[in-house]
Amino acid sequence: MLLVEDNDDLAETIVDRLRAEGHSVDREKDGDDANELLRHFKFDIVLLDLNLPGRSGYEVLRALRAREDDTPVIVLTARSQIDDKVIGLDAGADDYMIKPVDFRELSARCRVLSRRRAGRSSNVFSAGPFVFDRAAKRATIHGQDTQMRAREIQLLEIMIDNMGRMLTKEDVADRLYTFEEAPSLNAVEQLVTRLRRKLEGTPLVIKTARGLGYMAYLADDD
Amino acid sequence: MMTDASGHSLQRRLLVSMAAGFAVFLVLMSILLWTYSRAAADRTHDLPLAGAALAILERISVGPDGATVDLPNSAMDILSLNPVDRVQYRVFVPGQREITGTADLPVPADATPSASPVFYDADYQGAAFRFVLQGRPFISPDGRQWVAVQVGQTVESRTTQQLFFFAAGLAGLAVLSLIGLGFVWVAIRTSLSPLRQIAHDLAQREPADLALVEGSPPREVRNLFDAINGFITRLRRSRALTETFIADVAHQTRTSLSALQGHLSLAADAEDPGQMRSRLVKAERQAAHTVRLTNQLLANAMVIHRSDRTSLRPLALKPLVRDTLAESLRESRMRDISLSFVGDEIGAGEDIIEGDTLSIREALRNLIENAVRHGPPDNTITITLNGTEQSVRLSVEDAGPGIADADLPKATERFTSLSDKTKGSGLGLSIVKAVAQGHSADMRLGRSSLGGLEVTLIFRRIVPILLLVSGAVFAGDTGAAQTLVIHSATDTPAMQPLIDAFEVRNPGVDVAYVEFQTVALHQSMLRPETIGKPDLVISSAMDLQVNLVNRGLARRIRLAPGIAPPPWASWRSELFGFTFEPAIVVYDKRAISKRELPTSHRDLATFVRENEERFRGRIGSYNIRDSGVGYLYATQDSLQGPQALRLFEILGRTGMKTYCCTSDMVAATARGELAFAFNIIGTYAASLAETSPHLGLHFFEDYNLVMSRTAFVPKDAKNPDLAAAFIGFLLSEDGQRIILKDTPLLPLTPAPEPTSSFERQIRDQRGAFLPIRLTPGLLTYLDDLKRREFLSAWETSLRRDRRSSSSLLEPSAR
Repeated sequence: MLLVEDNDDLAETIVDRLRAEGHSVDREKDGDDANELLRHFKFDIVLLDLNLPGRSGYEVLRALRAREDDTPVIVLTARSQIDDKVIGLDAGADDYMIKPVDFRELSARCRVLSRRRAGRSSNVFSAGPFVFDRAAKRATIHGQDTQMRAREIQLLEIMIDNMGRMLTKEDVADRLYTFEEAPSLNAVEQLVTRLRRKLEGTPLVIKTARGLGYMAYLADDD
Repeated sequence: MMTDASGHSLQRRLLVSMAAGFAVFLVLMSILLWTYSRAAADRTHDLPLAGAALAILERISVGPDGATVDLPNSAMDILSLNPVDRVQYRVFVPGQREITGTADLPVPADATPSASPVFYDADYQGAAFRFVLQGRPFISPDGRQWVAVQVGQTVESRTTQQLFFFAAGLAGLAVLSLIGLGFVWVAIRTSLSPLRQIAHDLAQREPADLALVEGSPPREVRNLFDAINGFITRLRRSRALTETFIADVAHQTRTSLSALQGHLSLAADAEDPGQMRSRLVKAERQAAHTVRLTNQLLANAMVIHRSDRTSLRPLALKPLVRDTLAESLRESRMRDISLSFVGDEIGAGEDIIEGDTLSIREALRNLIENAVRHGPPDNTITITLNGTEQSVRLSVEDAGPGIADADLPKATERFTSLSDKTKGSGLGLSIVKAVAQGHSADMRLGRSSLGGLEVTLIFRRIVPILLLVSGAVFAGDTGAAQTLVIHSATDTPAMQPLIDAFEVRNPGVDVAYVEFQTVALHQSMLRPETIGKPDLVISSAMDLQVNLVNRGLARRIRLAPGIAPPPWASWRSELFGFTFEPAIVVYDKRAISKRELPTSHRDLATFVRENEERFRGRIGSYNIRDSGVGYLYATQDSLQGPQALRLFEILGRTGMKTYCCTSDMVAATARGELAFAFNIIGTYAASLAETSPHLGLHFFEDYNLVMSRTAFVPKDAKNPDLAAAFIGFLLSEDGQRIILKDTPLLPLTPAPEPTSSFERQIRDQRGAFLPIRLTPGLLTYLDDLKRREFLSAWETSLRRDRRSSSSLLEPSAR
């Protein structure tokens, strides 16, 4: 992991916390240095402060995305102005947090991001007793096949890819069905209910917020 | 904050209301003024009418056939003093018969013959007329009889004068009103000076100076003065409150930080790891509290700062609420909370309010935060968005314990945390309240059906207005060829060069030229169904043209600036003369020597009388019964003095021959049949005489009548603009030059360098020319009675037999 933060005290606590959780963390103070480093090395997650000496965090992020580097980035900012957040997300940040940062929340967000990334980059996603093999289109709990149908597997894939992100019913429908299939939102609801039942007993939870949509997360994050 | 610049000004208000008062005054005055100026204009214009009526009355006589009248030229001359208006007259025996004039002139129903003039307005043939009606009693064989004279004029000049009187009067009043307003303005400024003093006092102040405004204001602004001082007092109190708030904030933060510091130092000093751990846990909790407190203080400050109305923009509430909720759900502590959003009721476009995204987001977050913090970990939170015609309601309710009804009023106060257990900062709801106030939204606290608190914000909705822009459709010109129809009593060859030049200058224009005799043209204009409607009427008979225009048949023309015919050659901007054609004598040099030629009309009579036998049958002139121009010359001659009739008598004795046209007379003279012909159109004669060197042209020294060919555009012309363009062309420098160079006619404007002997002669005789003026005066000899009298006198003078010539032309034709 890479932490780009100019305040030494804050940086030290974050680095110590993350190291205590078993991550290997590099730290940069300067936007230009961070940019150089990111040009030559790959990181699993970047924690990026926006207010930096040299290049601003925003510029670092833009340069990163311009190189088609999809390393997950969490933006840290002390400003509460929403505009900064939007710019950050537009520029390609995966998440943002406002300082002072709650360490537990930070760890949780990092885990979600690394899960999302891992789920996408490798064929096997596992959480506790739950294992999902993307290539085989097969999900098992304690080695037992969950007997998921094709649509359920598809939905599972979508939810894992967007872990920690709110998807509206329409988003899900759009990704599940082709244009000709004329998705019904009811069908999506029933599908989610069925999938949720099959995931009982696993740390993978699909949360429903009525009127808003669905979000997947791992219950063992806390 | 600055005052709204568009706000009303007291001064302007006073001025506007005073101006409104003045305007009402002006309106009332202008009604009076209008009536007055009408009366004044009527008086001015009634005088010539009365004069003309009197002049006609004087010439009424009783003959064997009853009353008759010899229409005096002076009557028309009096009316011609008014240069624009058309004239109508009528002489009649009321209830019995018409004597002369226009028979169908309107007479008031209740009119009785009276020796004093009666003036009245009436419409005749679609135009407004002012009439005078005056009578005179006569003793006739049938007893006492009234003869009435009715004279009328159109009211254009009167209306113009009335407008002028009115405008002049109104302008004076307007100036007076402006001066009055000026005084009002000064008065207002003076009386508003105490206000300026206060403004000056306040403007000079330091922000910290909250002393009351001193002074003894006049009674009228006492209230304002007191209000300002009252406001200053409240401001002082408010500032004290702000100071308290800052003190509170300082207190809260410091207390929080001290507690944190205390826990940390205790932890640092602790020897027992268990004790240290418990201290650190406490310190961490305290730190979290401090963080939240600081966040909310900042949010509070931010919201208050942004409550300035200038940061409000139209925004859609639904997506904003949806995004804020989706965002807050990502926090891990929201995982067990059951959050739902009910926003289906409100459609797209129905959720538009004037708002500030940041503030509303902050308010919503605080409401959710409150529900999460004060409720159970598996709390149920429902956010509902719905709307009515005028408003959008956003409510947040939860299943938590809520607030006791008694505590509701206190809930939105700062630093009032109703629960010690949950460690609220006491700022959450006060932030929401500040946001509501900043948006002029209604904030309501109540009990939710879920069991907890329900907070509702009611925003005012913006109804989008659709602007419909309608496009105008423009039709282009068709560009088709136009035909200008000219009916004219002028030889085609004389006009052809002008027509050709006009066609060249106006591509696509075709001129159809129809030639008439003057009288036939006049008749055809009175009976348009027989010949068709021309666009332009040109004739050398000026009196007949004036008659047509006086009947209201012509259209007003606006000539291009710079083109201005002399005043005698235009009337009412409707009839325009464009040539200069003197009446001259053409003589046979072999019969008369230049030396013995008479120099004046009087001498001509003497000369002919003295040489009666020599010239017997060898003098020619127009047959004035047939020729319009001849009649015009003869009647105009008769106006110059009694010698005209004497001349006719003498000419008659010599057996004068009469002709229809100038060309015949010139030809006869050239052949040696005539010794001389007089009152012939000089321009024609000059060009005809060029081929016969023995012909001479002669001018008189006392006067030489000048006729001008005139043109007008009939009201019902199909191409009036084109016809007006043709008149403009005739009068333009270009047109006049062509008349001089390429036609036998002479232009109105004399040539700078005479090229022919005729032109030279004209230049040398400049002073002795008497142009016939285009005025209603020309109507006198068109009067039926008058014309009959004149022709019979003329024929008697020439010893002609009336019966043999009366069949030539019906009198009504003239």
